Amino acid sequence: MEPDVSIETSSMIRVAVIPVGPVPPNHLRDYSAMLLRHCTISLSTISSFYTEHQKSPFSNQPWDSGSLRFKFMLGGSPSSPWEDFQSNRKILAVIGLCHCPSSPDLDAVVDQFAAACKGYPSALVQRCFGFCPGDSQLEDGSKREGNLILFPPSDRQTQEFHMNTMVQDIAASLLMEFEKWVLQAESAGTILKTPLDSQASLSSEEVIKAKKRRLGRAQKTIGDYCLLAGSPVDANAHYSTALELARLTGDYFWYAGALEGSVCALLIDRMGQKDPILEGEVKYRYNDVISYYRKSFIQDNAQRVSPLSFELEATLKLARFLCRRELAKEVVELLTAAADGAKSLIDASDRLILYVEIARLFGTLGYHRKAAFFSRQVAQLYLQQENGLAAISAMQVLAMTTKAYRVQSRASDSKHSLPSEIGPSYADGGKMHHHSVVSLFESQWSTLQMVVLREILMSSVRAGDPLAAWSAAARLLRCYYPLITPAGQNGLATALKNSSERLPSGTRCADPALPFIRLHSFPLQPSQMDIVKRNPAREDWWAGSAPSGPFIYTPFSKGEPNDTSKQELIWIVGEPVQVLVELANPCGFDLMVESIYLSVHSGNFDAFPIRVNLPPNSSKVITLSGIPTSVGHVTIPGCTVHCFGVITEHLFKDVDNLLHGAAQGLVLSDPFRCCGSAKLRNVSVPQISVVPPLPLLVSRIVGGVGAVILYEGEIRDVWISLANAGTVPVEQAHISLSGKNQDAVISVAYETLKSVLPLKPGAEVTLPVTLKAWQLGLVDPDNAAGKSASGSTGRQSKDGISPILLIHYTGPLTNPGEPPENGSSVPPGRRLVVPLHICVLQGLSLVKARLLSMEIPAHIGENLPKPVRLDNGSTEEVTISESKADGLVKIDPFRGSWGLRFLELELSNPTDVVFEISVSVQLENSSDVDNPSVDQDAAELGYPKTRIDRDYSARVLIPLEHFKLPVLDGSFFVKDSQADGTSSGRTLSFSDKTSKAELNASIKNLISRIKLRWQSGRNSSGELNIKDAIQAALQTSVMDILLPDPLTFGFKLSKNGAGHAAKLDSPKESNVQVPSTSKGSVLAHDMTPMEVLVRNNTMEMIKMRFSIRCRDVAGANCVEGDKATVLWAGVLSGVTMEVPPLQEVKHSFSLYFLVPGEYTLVAAAVIDDPNDILRARARSVSSNEPIFCRGPPFHVRVIGTA
Amino acid sequence: MASTACFIIVSRNDIPIYEAEVGSAVKKEDAAQQHQFILHAALDVVQDLAWTTSAMFLKAIDRFNDLVVSVYVTAGHTRLMLLHDSRNEDGIKSFFQEVHELYIKVLLNPLYLPGSRITSSHFDTKVRALARKYL
Repeated sequence: MEPDVSIETSSMIRVAVIPVGPVPPNHLRDYSAMLLRHCTISLSTISSFYTEHQKSPFSNQPWDSGSLRFKFMLGGSPSSPWEDFQSNRKILAVIGLCHCPSSPDLDAVVDQFAAACKGYPSALVQRCFGFCPGDSQLEDGSKREGNLILFPPSDRQTQEFHMNTMVQDIAASLLMEFEKWVLQAESAGTILKTPLDSQASLSSEEVIKAKKRRLGRAQKTIGDYCLLAGSPVDANAHYSTALELARLTGDYFWYAGALEGSVCALLIDRMGQKDPILEGEVKYRYNDVISYYRKSFIQDNAQRVSPLSFELEATLKLARFLCRRELAKEVVELLTAAADGAKSLIDASDRLILYVEIARLFGTLGYHRKAAFFSRQVAQLYLQQENGLAAISAMQVLAMTTKAYRVQSRASDSKHSLPSEIGPSYADGGKMHHHSVVSLFESQWSTLQMVVLREILMSSVRAGDPLAAWSAAARLLRCYYPLITPAGQNGLATALKNSSERLPSGTRCADPALPFIRLHSFPLQPSQMDIVKRNPAREDWWAGSAPSGPFIYTPFSKGEPNDTSKQELIWIVGEPVQVLVELANPCGFDLMVESIYLSVHSGNFDAFPIRVNLPPNSSKVITLSGIPTSVGHVTIPGCTVHCFGVITEHLFKDVDNLLHGAAQGLVLSDPFRCCGSAKLRNVSVPQISVVPPLPLLVSRIVGGVGAVILYEGEIRDVWISLANAGTVPVEQAHISLSGKNQDAVISVAYETLKSVLPLKPGAEVTLPVTLKAWQLGLVDPDNAAGKSASGSTGRQSKDGISPILLIHYTGPLTNPGEPPENGSSVPPGRRLVVPLHICVLQGLSLVKARLLSMEIPAHIGENLPKPVRLDNGSTEEVTISESKADGLVKIDPFRGSWGLRFLELELSNPTDVVFEISVSVQLENSSDVDNPSVDQDAAELGYPKTRIDRDYSARVLIPLEHFKLPVLDGSFFVKDSQADGTSSGRTLSFSDKTSKAELNASIKNLISRIKLRWQSGRNSSGELNIKDAIQAALQTSVMDILLPDPLTFGFKLSKNGAGHAAKLDSPKESNVQVPSTSKGSVLAHDMTPMEVLVRNNTMEMIKMRFSIRCRDVAGANCVEGDKATVLWAGVLSGVTMEVPPLQEVKHSFSLYFLVPGEYTLVAAAVIDDPNDILRARARSVSSNEPIFCRGPPFHVRVIGTA
Repeated sequence: MASTACFIIVSRNDIPIYEAEVGSAVKKEDAAQQHQFILHAALDVVQDLAWTTSAMFLKAIDRFNDLVVSVYVTAGHTRLMLLHDSRNEDGIKSFFQEVHELYIKVLLNPLYLPGSRITSSHFDTKVRALARKYL
């Protein structure tokens, strides 16, 4: 069988092209290329070289349109035993190619050529072309006659022209030889034999048969020569005769041959045009050809020779003729039939050629998988040959199949497919649609791929191509490790090592092996290095340019799409950066990665290689670092890895695709998951831009890096030192607060920072910051719990609860020495985040606050005790000053303390230190200007310090009497007056509301005036927040504290009776034993005039009936009853009285005490027709309930003898 | 039962999602791989042939040496391919139809991702049982 056969092959003149003498390969290629261009020589061009010696047998030769075809056999070919059967198989001409500079002796060349031509007895024309001859050779050559033709050295065009002429000459010579041969063949009988004809002794019958057949065979051969001579019409005529004769003699083989020739003649006649009728004709005739070849199969010599190869060739010829997409079905049938014949072929090389041709035809048809299948069959046949050249051929053939099996090396497809793949995946930020993921893994038939790769590995090892072997082993290991046993994986690793040993060091390969590398993350820059885009138009240039806080997503920035691809990283020239990548070694051997570094193609990044060792089935996250070297953009497509002795580039995209495929169940295994690594969100490579150097502030808290430990409410200063560690001065800086508990920062010395700007590189500044510890509330109960569990562990300051100091700073707008750039590229600023680690410890705590009341009756005297509301603090005898150590509460006995209330604060100290507390009450101006006696100074009442030991509680009493309002006003009972509903206009309700607000304000005012400060140790001090507790304590009785009673009663000894007074005084003076202190005493057995003053504290007239009681020590009424010990004058009970608003009414009476001792006078009244205000004040439930009003008791000490 | 038979389900993306050597002949790895190569090559023929007929069973569409490839194409262009050496066309047709039903059941599994490998052992058992029955 012969390769590359087609129907037209029958019309081609076979010419052997052989090198004569030593010819350098590149020259040989050059010369043969020049020659090979002249495959078709049209008859019209050779007429000048043609001389008609006799009458041409080719009577119908188309001189104007016909042509001669050459088939140049480079290197020649052995003669075929079937030459007689198909004349086109004969070598009809020999062309020698000689490179004159390497063969100086032309005689030797001629001899060599002559010797070479002896191998081609069928050659009718021999020529030897000598190229690039020297002058002497030219001279020598011009003298000699013969076959040697020297091409004078000249330019290429001339040489080609020269070559054209020479080939035309050969063509004309051949034509003349053909004529000669045909004339000879027609006249003299020629014996034409094929190997099919019995070689054994010819029986007489056989001889007769052969004689009969001879004529037909001669006609067929003449037809062949006619075809070769380019005369299809003549050929057809001869073939027709031959067909007749062959059919008559039953010479099927030759019949088929003649039929084949006639089809060729038909096609040549039609000059290559194809129409359906012609196609049908060709198909019909060729099917005949095939069937006749099959018929000519003779069983008895099948072992030795068989016409099978002609049948297959005819099949392939027809298939090639029909090979079009539309006729795919027929072609497939033909090729399948041809493939079936392979088994019966005796010669292995015939089978090889058959498979090669089938593969080629399938490839032409577009059936790449079929083509690959037969190519692999070819490769297997090559591999069976067990020699190096065959192995190289096998390797090359297999390399052609890789595309169909989808195992192609990246080197082979990088040119076209890679850029198109990069495009979309980069554009949509690594987001892959399911569709495109699937398309990536289309036709991944792992079993076949593994076999093919293994065969490539085997053939390339055998062919001695270490790089191809490495590449195949790498692909096999990387893609199919889950299907390979650990022993097999080890074997592949060994193959990789062995191949790399034979490669020069530093060899690069397009196909990565292990490990699998994926992008893990870009570590967030430490908070000290935050970069903030600068908005040059604004004063606060950092605003709105970066998320304020540690969160990438904030709900407040939802307007802008938070697309990951939009994410942008800014790197700074000269500042090292880090990228985390994850490596996985899913195989069962130790993987030694000699070096791995980020592969950056933009050229402005210095990557630092590191060495990694990956144990079997493990993954590792490693940090790869580098330094940006110049301003611009940086893209990181992957990593460059030096592993198994070869340098490869591992693209992140590939692994991403692989993981996508694994997620879709399209790939066997996820290399990271099988190494136990967690599933990772797909990380897209952000756009990275490199900017010029920026300043870099570094902060340090003076006095230790630990948390500042503060007790609740404590105030303390800390110092923060800022240093510029960059290479550019800080020109602008701004401090702001962020995070929780921002109010804990009382002040920041912003001015200090301002004053040192610009901060030169290396300079340092220290800022004081005043902190106030916040209250530990319910918000962090675990802190309190930790506190109770163990004191030390509770000291850990938690992240997130401390305030954060944000310092935004920038360098100069443009770098010195550089031309100012356009406004769009302002260098960004930076943000320094200084977390103020504050650890708040539980300090003194308020257990509870409650209100205590105390009633001490006043002594009756000549003067009315000052009413409580007029009090200017005399209850405590205003003399109390802060300097006084014993600022105790003193009570004037004549004054009493009716209605005095104390706020009791119970404090506990759960800490392990001692606290000292001091309470102060600030006395502020009362809003009521009517009251002249109110202390106008905003004095502060201080109480002595109280010490509370650890784990002890203490109570502090605060008297609350300074706060009574002077007037009982209806406005305080807004609700009630509203409920009344009668005649309450809008104005009233409005004023009510304001008054209510006033009341609330006064309550707040009251509370805010009480302060509780504490101090612990030398430098801890603060204030306890007791507002809420006081408010809670006061809530129920705030009215009692703030509002006066509607009526106040005051008793005093009457002075208008001067005589009484004198009488009263005289015995007092005479009676020496009467202590002078008993000034307010009353003598027994004496009529004592007294007055009761009734004051109306309301704004309305009050009508009432009141009565006065006098009780003795035992509490018995001593005015009435059988055993009355007190006589009286005046009205004591049922006194009806009307008191105008805010006025006092005096009622006089006299008492005569019979028995000395202690008596108590109490006045009580029943108010007639009480209004709502009074009812509200008295908290009466029903409207007809009588309203009582009782005054404070007064003591009367009666002296004298009984 | 056929001495050689290799059954493969190829997804519409040309990825084999199920493969089974169901022949009674002694199994050799080399032969199994060769079977798959033949089936893979036959996909080219199926690709053209599937659109010329409305029948799902395409009968024997390709052969190599004495091995014949029969193909059944589902509506979703999943191809059930059988490489066999017997000529029992009716049996093969029944086999394909029943495997198709099994395959539909696999598809109905909400946990099965269409186009991914069929790993159900139940499916495997059933297919082998069908192969014994029909081939």
